[in-house]
Amino acid sequence: MEEAFSQAVSQTQFGTLDWIIVALYLSISVFIGFGVKKYVRNMSTYLGAGRAVGTCLGIATMTGTEMGLITVMYNAQKGFTGGFAAFHIALAAGIVTFFVGLSGFFVCRLRDMKVLTIPEFYEKRFDRKTRILGGIMLALGGILNMGLFLKVGSMFIVGITGMSAESQALPWVMTLLLLLVLVYTVLGGMISVIITDYVQFVVLSFGILVTTYICIQKLGWTHIMESLETTRGASSFNPLDEGSGFGWSYVAWMAMLGLVSCAIWPTAVARALAMESTQAVKRQYMWSSASFMIRFLIPCFWGICAFVYFNDQAPELGTLFIPTEGGVETANNLYAMPIFLGRILPAGLVGLITAAMIAAFMSTHDSYLLCWSSVITQDILAPMMGRTLSTKARIQLTRLFIVLIGLYILYWGLIYEGSDDIWDYMNVTGAVYFTGAFSLLLGGLYWRRASSTGAFLALLSGLTALLGLDPIQRMVGLKVIDPETGEVTRQIMTGDQVGLLTVAASLAIFVIASLLFPDKQPKSIPTTS
Amino acid sequence: MWQQLWTFLFFGALGIFALMSVWVTIGGYRDIKTLLQRLKDDTSEEE
Repeated sequence: MEEAFSQAVSQTQFGTLDWIIVALYLSISVFIGFGVKKYVRNMSTYLGAGRAVGTCLGIATMTGTEMGLITVMYNAQKGFTGGFAAFHIALAAGIVTFFVGLSGFFVCRLRDMKVLTIPEFYEKRFDRKTRILGGIMLALGGILNMGLFLKVGSMFIVGITGMSAESQALPWVMTLLLLLVLVYTVLGGMISVIITDYVQFVVLSFGILVTTYICIQKLGWTHIMESLETTRGASSFNPLDEGSGFGWSYVAWMAMLGLVSCAIWPTAVARALAMESTQAVKRQYMWSSASFMIRFLIPCFWGICAFVYFNDQAPELGTLFIPTEGGVETANNLYAMPIFLGRILPAGLVGLITAAMIAAFMSTHDSYLLCWSSVITQDILAPMMGRTLSTKARIQLTRLFIVLIGLYILYWGLIYEGSDDIWDYMNVTGAVYFTGAFSLLLGGLYWRRASSTGAFLALLSGLTALLGLDPIQRMVGLKVIDPETGEVTRQIMTGDQVGLLTVAASLAIFVIASLLFPDKQPKSIPTTS
Repeated sequence: MWQQLWTFLFFGALGIFALMSVWVTIGGYRDIKTLLQRLKDDTSEEE
């Protein structure tokens, strides 16, 4: 199979002109990192860009961060395997983000409190130990969550450029991309992150619109629909149909994740906290709801197009990537979308879209690296050390953790061998943090009787979300796989069901413990100005 | 029904996103200039 795979992927349109476009883009990003270093003078400018970001820039940076290459890859994978039924993820994300913008749910109260991070809110509303535990859970879930970003992003690059024919290309690309991101994130902090996010938004938004137009022009919208219906039937359109691979619990889990990704996930919340006013936050969310929908919709559509193209026009790729009943093992379907784009896009445009995707890759990495490292510094180490940590030391420590987390994701990307879809892997690992955080934000911002003991226990309960992870499910017997055929013979609970149960358990624990162990001196609930 | 829903959602979102891209590209450039100017002024105040 390896030889057939190498031969198939080497037929890309990616050429010298495309390499020049990519190199040019990367140089501009590093140049920005150096250029804005002079504006960094304290933690507020390093982590929050001085809370001076306007609405348009806020939308660009929110989109730039949340529409990462990892997002593009896992959604393409969902489209390739689930068809149009996977569009429900986009619909849920768009509706929920718009609702958050309309109501200011969570984000406006947080912005009014002028906190830099969510754990800082935990201390203001509860106590210091909750902040430290919150920081640990956030860093644990978040760092595990981004563990596969580097590998999956690099798979796009090697797939679209045709480098996947070279067996050692992947680790080399991973290392090179990591070095680039580390350089400008360490130097410029949030200011360089926001400006590179803007550049990415411009390149990416126009790149994806043109690419989508070419996909429709080459395959035809009606043909795509008909082809999918013929090969996979009605379940490739209806997410509630159990044959679609989704079902009711999965759709409910996606609605929850829609709220999490815009109003609880710290990289998104950090954008809200950097805005100049709560009105700007609301506008940012309402407009970004289109981006939150698009970030799922378009890559998912590209995945669908890859499936239709492989099935109808490139049978050699169909044999490689589309599984048949009792057929031979197929290639990793994460490569399907980049290989498809490498085939259909003309030279020049394929370079532009690759540059846009590298931009997407970098803007997500820089934001995530900055976010998790600042949480470790601001919310774990600084509260533990009292007032002894100077601003200069905090910036230096944040930079050190950026590098250490970077090295971890390089290592994790090379060793992890779970069989989860990337999107499902990310949801489970993220749930370690957000299941507890959801309870604390809901209770802390809107319930007077919420107590620090309840908060502490609710945070700890998030650890049960790890039971949704494929290797752990197999280890504890929640999922049994036939060693000979590799097929799942028994699964007691799926990842999405574990996630929903963890949310319910966390809320229940929070309420019961708050009622049983109230705070002696309850803190007031923040209100929106 | 599902096919019509996804067609409407896809092209509707695509249209809104295209318009938003133009608006954000222009407005974002203006915001960057304002942001850098504010940060520059803050620095000179400190010094």
